[in-house]
Amino acid sequence: MNAPVLQPPILRDGHATLPGLFRHRVQEMGERVAMREKEFGIWKPISWNEYGRRARTLGLGLVSLGLQRGDVVSILSENNKEWIYTDVGAICAGGVACGIYPTDSANQLDYIVNNSATKFLFVENEEQLDKYLAIRDRVPSLVKVVVYDMEGLRDFADPMVIPIDRLYELGAAYDEAHPEEWGKRIDAAEPEDLMILIYTSGTTGPPKGAMLSHRNVIFQMSASEYVLEVHEGDEQICFLPLCHIAERSFSVHRPLASKSIINFVESPETFAENLREVSPTIMFAVPRIWERFYSAIAIQLKDATWIGRLAYAWAIGVGRKRADHTMDGRRPPAALDLVYRFANWLVLRNVKRVLGLDRARWIVTGAAPIAPDLIRWYFALGIDMFEVYGQTENCGVATGTNPKSLKIGTVGVAAPGTEVKLSPEGEILLKGPHVFIGYLNQPDKTAETVKDGWLHTGDVGVIDNQGFVRITDRMKEIIITAGGKNITPSEIENQLKFSPYISDAVVIGDRRKFLTALIMIDHDNVAKFAQDKGVPFSNYASLCRAQEVQDLIGGEIDKVNRQFARVETIKKFRLIDTLLTAEDEELTPTMKLKRKLVNKKYAPLIDSMYKEG
Amino acid sequence: MAATLLEMRNIETFYGPIMALRGVSLEVPEGAIVTVLGANGAGKTTILKTISGVMEPQKGSIVFGGKPIHRHEPDWVARQGIAHVPEGREIFPFLSVYENLMMGAFTRHDRAALAGDLEAVYGYFPILKERADQPAAYLSGGQQQMLVIGRGLMARPKLMLLDEPSLGLSPLLVQEIFGIIRRLNEERKVTMLLVEQNANMALKVAHHGYVLELGRIVMNDTCERLRESEDVKEFFLGMKEEGARGRRRWKRKKTWR
Repeated sequence: MNAPVLQPPILRDGHATLPGLFRHRVQEMGERVAMREKEFGIWKPISWNEYGRRARTLGLGLVSLGLQRGDVVSILSENNKEWIYTDVGAICAGGVACGIYPTDSANQLDYIVNNSATKFLFVENEEQLDKYLAIRDRVPSLVKVVVYDMEGLRDFADPMVIPIDRLYELGAAYDEAHPEEWGKRIDAAEPEDLMILIYTSGTTGPPKGAMLSHRNVIFQMSASEYVLEVHEGDEQICFLPLCHIAERSFSVHRPLASKSIINFVESPETFAENLREVSPTIMFAVPRIWERFYSAIAIQLKDATWIGRLAYAWAIGVGRKRADHTMDGRRPPAALDLVYRFANWLVLRNVKRVLGLDRARWIVTGAAPIAPDLIRWYFALGIDMFEVYGQTENCGVATGTNPKSLKIGTVGVAAPGTEVKLSPEGEILLKGPHVFIGYLNQPDKTAETVKDGWLHTGDVGVIDNQGFVRITDRMKEIIITAGGKNITPSEIENQLKFSPYISDAVVIGDRRKFLTALIMIDHDNVAKFAQDKGVPFSNYASLCRAQEVQDLIGGEIDKVNRQFARVETIKKFRLIDTLLTAEDEELTPTMKLKRKLVNKKYAPLIDSMYKEG
Repeated sequence: MAATLLEMRNIETFYGPIMALRGVSLEVPEGAIVTVLGANGAGKTTILKTISGVMEPQKGSIVFGGKPIHRHEPDWVARQGIAHVPEGREIFPFLSVYENLMMGAFTRHDRAALAGDLEAVYGYFPILKERADQPAAYLSGGQQQMLVIGRGLMARPKLMLLDEPSLGLSPLLVQEIFGIIRRLNEERKVTMLLVEQNANMALKVAHHGYVLELGRIVMNDTCERLRESEDVKEFFLGMKEEGARGRRRWKRKKTWR
């Protein structure tokens, strides 16, 4: 029992570390396309050779500036090719890559740079650079700051700051003088080495830096294929923040593992158009995006002719019947399939084209719970939607549904090599090579989270006799009403978010007599509703105040209430009448409301619901 | 609070296929000066044109003094007591200053009161009296602006729609014009709807303000509070924190709160 347990090597195409795999991939793929970025309106391809060259000169540039193995390199930028060059280049050179949300404030940057002892900071442009300049006296660990886009900084000179082109020059010169160095650095990587740091927004206290190793990531590349079957040349779109484990896995690690092609959206505003242009063959997104697509179609239908509406209702009905079969992994009857093909040709394919999903072989949702009805809708359209469950601490995927094992309402069964079990309290525990190293500088927190190799997820759920996992809620978020009833708010919230007029909701009721909700309205759709109904409003707050809008949301809540037991119904609600943006602390970068913060910040509003009557 | 003189509800106005106003609702209380701020192309002028009947809204309603006035011809609207002072000082260049002013009284039949009103206009703008017989084209830009405001006054309007009265005027003249606008409001109780690029002046003279962006109202409040808003400061008043470098180029994201 005391003998050290030998862990079997975990390999992807014969490589146990990301640098090894990357070098292999660049040699193998050569001039084939690795990614595309839109430049002045034209999608420009970038080859694997170019990807390899850039990562190499960038990595060696850092070496020439003194990067030691294990030094942290942080990236403060929207998604773009330089982000990935920096990520991979720094890791190959022996560094640790750490993404920082571009919406973070200067103070949050200060915290992460100091907490991680970042040596090199990459910033996107002058806007992000200003955040560094505001805190420069408080970040002694920094050696250099590198700027991707120098627009507006022509006259700016600072010994701490260099443009990325200068770093490439340094790297090229270093490479010429030390041609062996790059290979040596790559070979020096060990599977157990710390590879990336991912800061997770703690529900309480400051963010924690989760440490992931090469082994975690390499294992996940193969394990997640159980859900995500990806072929060479698959087109995927990169638009969620790369700082998040889900997008990092899908947009950086997945292409390295499976040779798919990354397409960067230009900006969040052009996401819809970019999606239609690219028409990805595979796509990952968070539920909020999938909800938005559904809302967009629902709203467009209201403006459609009655023939259009009728045709859609018929086609989606056929789709739903067929989905009853496909979702169970069965082939639909031939006659039904024939009718579906006609419905698809007539209606559904146009819906898919409008969304930019007409080529999608499958789509995946994850990182937050989703309403089962929404999954059904995508299946009815004829797009297979799967769900994955996991967290940063296990490098992304722990369980998932796939064509062979799909049970709506569950997050599927454990991925290969992953063990899942329940604690006596009903908490979901995970074990496998993807379980992270720990939280940076926080051994206590790490010990609380990983016990005997079991990762304590903080989620409560059930596992059925076939191994399907169903998540009920975050352990800390379960509401116990004054009447002693246990209520899982996320189930109710997901049904609420299914309404095209509700963009997010927080259900409240812990130690209270009844449940209430704070609602964030979908601005566009509610504004359209008000406009169509002739409800006068000026700004966002007055829109929220309008009686007709209150009634509309009240009606949507009543619809949801009918699906739940009496104690689980929402008795009162309030609308959040400021238009929140990703910069606001109440929202996560993926635009979800943070329950703790909302509870605190809107305490008077919440109390007002419990005061009268 | 004063009664509402003009109420616009859910107005949508198009230029061909282009939707210029995407559902604008606003109120002008009796006796107040209300201003609409916005960048070029936000739809400010379109609001005034829609009120005065030059443009017809596809949707929504406009109620003036309790009476709906949308879908009526401009001359009918003018007779209800709305004077539109257009942008760019549209005078009749070959008519004399006096004749220009009398054009403003075209809709009136109370000849007796006219002389008094003319004197009142000359009282506000003495230069117009001096040059009453000259062709209006000979006036300077500032004088022409005075002339169009005076012409609007000659209709004895209940509501004046002022479209960028400060356009192209020297700072001193801008002060003077706004001073007169305020006096007209205080002394003659003329209600005003003022569209302006010069947000600084507009926010000083007006009581209530709306901020228009791409055909939608994004903010409305009293002018004191608008002046304190970070977004109004940065995007209309040109005041911004310089940042660590002292020459910030990037723009903050607007939140309009």
